Amino acid sequence: MKRDHQDICGADGGGYGNSSGSKGESSITSKGKLWEEDQDAGDMDELMAVLGYKVRSSDMADVAQKMEQLDMAMGTAQEDGISHLAYDTVHYNPSDLSSWVQSMLTELNNPVLPNSDSNSSKPQQHQQIVSSNQSQVYNDDSEYDLRAIPGIAAYPQPKRIKTSMETDSSSSTTEPSTQPVVLVDSQEAGVRLVHTLMACAEAVQQENLKLADALVKHIGLLAASQAGAMRKVATYFAEALARRIYGVYPQDSLHPSYTDMLQMHFYETCPYLKFAHFTSNQAILEAFATSNRVHVIDFGLKQGMQWPALMQELALRPGGPPVFRLTGIGPHQPDNTDALQQVGCKLAYLAETIGVKFEFRGFMVNSLADLEPKMLDIRPPEVETLAVNSIFELHRLLARAGGIEKVLSSIKTMKPKILTIVEEEANHNSPVFVDRFTEALHYYSSLFDSLEVSGVVPPSSQDLVMSESYLGRQICNVVACEGVERVERHETLAQWRSRMKTSGFSPAHLGSNAYKQASMLLALFAGGDGYRVEENDGCLTLGWHTRPLIATSAWQVAATE
Amino acid sequence: MVQNHHGTVGENKGKRPKFFINDHVDILIEILKRLDCRSLCVAASVCRLWCTIARNDSLWENLCFRHVSPPPSSVRSVVLALGGYKRLYMGCVRPVRSRLGRVRRASWARDEVQLSLSLFCVDYYERLGGGSNSNGRLVGESSPSSLMFLCKPMNV
Repeated sequence: MKRDHQDICGADGGGYGNSSGSKGESSITSKGKLWEEDQDAGDMDELMAVLGYKVRSSDMADVAQKMEQLDMAMGTAQEDGISHLAYDTVHYNPSDLSSWVQSMLTELNNPVLPNSDSNSSKPQQHQQIVSSNQSQVYNDDSEYDLRAIPGIAAYPQPKRIKTSMETDSSSSTTEPSTQPVVLVDSQEAGVRLVHTLMACAEAVQQENLKLADALVKHIGLLAASQAGAMRKVATYFAEALARRIYGVYPQDSLHPSYTDMLQMHFYETCPYLKFAHFTSNQAILEAFATSNRVHVIDFGLKQGMQWPALMQELALRPGGPPVFRLTGIGPHQPDNTDALQQVGCKLAYLAETIGVKFEFRGFMVNSLADLEPKMLDIRPPEVETLAVNSIFELHRLLARAGGIEKVLSSIKTMKPKILTIVEEEANHNSPVFVDRFTEALHYYSSLFDSLEVSGVVPPSSQDLVMSESYLGRQICNVVACEGVERVERHETLAQWRSRMKTSGFSPAHLGSNAYKQASMLLALFAGGDGYRVEENDGCLTLGWHTRPLIATSAWQVAATE
Repeated sequence: MVQNHHGTVGENKGKRPKFFINDHVDILIEILKRLDCRSLCVAASVCRLWCTIARNDSLWENLCFRHVSPPPSSVRSVVLALGGYKRLYMGCVRPVRSRLGRVRRASWARDEVQLSLSLFCVDYYERLGGGSNSNGRLVGESSPSSLMFLCKPMNV
C-alpha cells in the first residue's frame, strides 16, 4: 500500500473545511501532519490502527482540530484542576479516538461529578482540584479571543508547533487565568473564524481565488456570530481580502480633510496619538533647553495637534520662551485649499495668546522624498536649533525604492539637533503575503480590543466608529494593496533602529521625564490598566497588555570621526 | 461654616457686636481660599457676595497649585489667556487628580499640574475652530473636545 506523505491539508478527504485545499501546501504544520493520510485505506486509517486508534480517514481533520482544542483547554486550565478528567471521568472505548476526544471536550464544558476511574491515554496534569470553579459557561469570550492573540504574538509559546495559522492562540490566554477556560459555541466559532481568515489568506497567496472567495463569504457568516472587537476586526479583514480577490483596489482616495477628521476622532478616543505627541515633545523640549531660536519641521502637520502643548511648555520655560518657527509639511489638497495655512493661522493665534513669538511656513508635497532642504530655509545651528518630527510618516516612504534613503540623507544635511520618530511597532512589510496578514491580524486585534475598552460610552458612538474606520483603512491598505499603492509599510522598532544606524544616526535616549509623563497620560484613560508604557533601550513603547503597538524614538546625527 | 447672624442695629444689650463675616471680605476670602472644590461650589450658593467671591479666579488658582510650590509668575498670564483658573481646574486639574488618585505618587503633584496645563492648552486650541474645515470636523458636528476622555466615567 502506498503511503502518501502529505500534509493533512494536502489530501482531499471530506470535512476539511478549516484548511486550504490546494495541494503542495507546505506551510501548514499542524498536528495533523503527524498523521499521514492514506487515501487508499478503507474506513479506518491504517497507521492509527497500528497505534491502537480507530479513526476514520474522513474524520481526521475534525479529530485533529478537536485535539488542538483539547490541548489548549488543558493547557490553560492548569491552575483550575482538570484532574477530574484523569480520575473521575469515565471514558469508554478510547480507541475510538473521535468520540473519545469529543467526550473529553464535553467533559471540560460540563465537568461531571466524580464517578469511576478513567482509562485515558492522554497525559494529565496533576493539579489540585479547585472546587470553587466549576463549569461556568463563559459568555464573554471575545475578549479571551483577543487577549490571547496579542499574547501569542508577543510571546509565542515554544511548546506549540509554530504554525502559520497560529490558531492555538484564539481560545487561550498566555496570562495566568484564575477562571476556567471553557469552550462555548461562539468561542469555537471564534477559533473557526481565525482559521478561516488564515486559510483565506493562504488561498490568496496561492492565487486560488475561487477558494478564497468561498472562504471570504464564510468569514462574513462567522464574524456575525462574534461580538465586539473580534467581529469588527474580522469584518475589516474580510473586506480587505475581498478587495484583493476581486481586484477592487486601490481604495477610493479620500479628500485629505476627511482622513484628517478620521484621525481627529482617533486622537480623541484613545491615547496612541497623544502618547506620540507628548513623548516627542518631551524629547524636543530637552533638545531645545538652551536655545533662544528654535525651528521644528513637522513631516505631517495634519491639524497641528502636537504643537499647542509644546508651545505652552516653551511659554512657561524658565527664562522665557524662545522664538518658535514651525514648518509644516502636508499633502496637496485636491480643491486647492491651503489647509496648512489655516492650521498655521490657528497656531499663530494660540502663540500670540500665550506670548510666544511664532512663525509658520507650510509646504505641500506629494511625498516627503520631494523635499529639498534648500526649500526649507534652514539656518545654521549656532543661530537656530532644529528639530525634525515625524509621526507615522516615514513608513510610507518604503513604498518607493530609494525614498527613505533620500529623506534620511536630506535630514542629515539639515543638521537637526534631534529627530523624533514615532512608528507602529509591527512588521507589516513582509514580502510574503501570509506573514503580513498574520502580523496585521494580531496587531489590529490588539488595537481594536483597546478601543473597545477605552472608547466612548456608549460604544456605538460616532467617535468610536470613526476611529475604527481610520484603522480599517490601514488594514485595507496592508492587505489589499501592493506596490506603490501599499503605503502602510509598518516596520518594527528593531528594523528602524538598524536602518537609522546604517544611515548615520545615533540614538538619543528619551529620559525619565518622558516616561513619567506618558505613564500619567495613560493612567488618565479609561481602560488605563490595559495600556502599558515600556522603556526599550532608550525608546518608549505604548502597548495594550503585553503587546507593544507604537514606539517613539529619538535620534541625532552621528558624530563623524 | 461661618453662620451669618444678622444682629439688629437697634439692640443694645451691652454685648460685643456680633461678628458678621460679610463685613470682612478679606477674611472671607482667606477662608474660602482654603476650601476644596466641592465646598467652594457649595459656598457659591450661599449669597450674592459669596457667589461673587467664589467665582473669582484667584481662588481657583489656589486650588490648582494647592499641593505644589508656587509656580512662576508667567503661568498666570498664560492660564488667564487660555480661559482662566476655574476652567483649568474644572476641566483638567480635577479630573486628572481624581483619575491619578489611584496610582498617585507624591512626586507627581507638580507633573499633574503640568500635564493639566498641556491638556488645557490643547483644548483651547481645539476650541479655536474657525474656518470651514480647519478644525478637522465636518460642518454641523458637535464641537470637538480632546478632553472628552477626561469627562467619561472610568470603570474603576
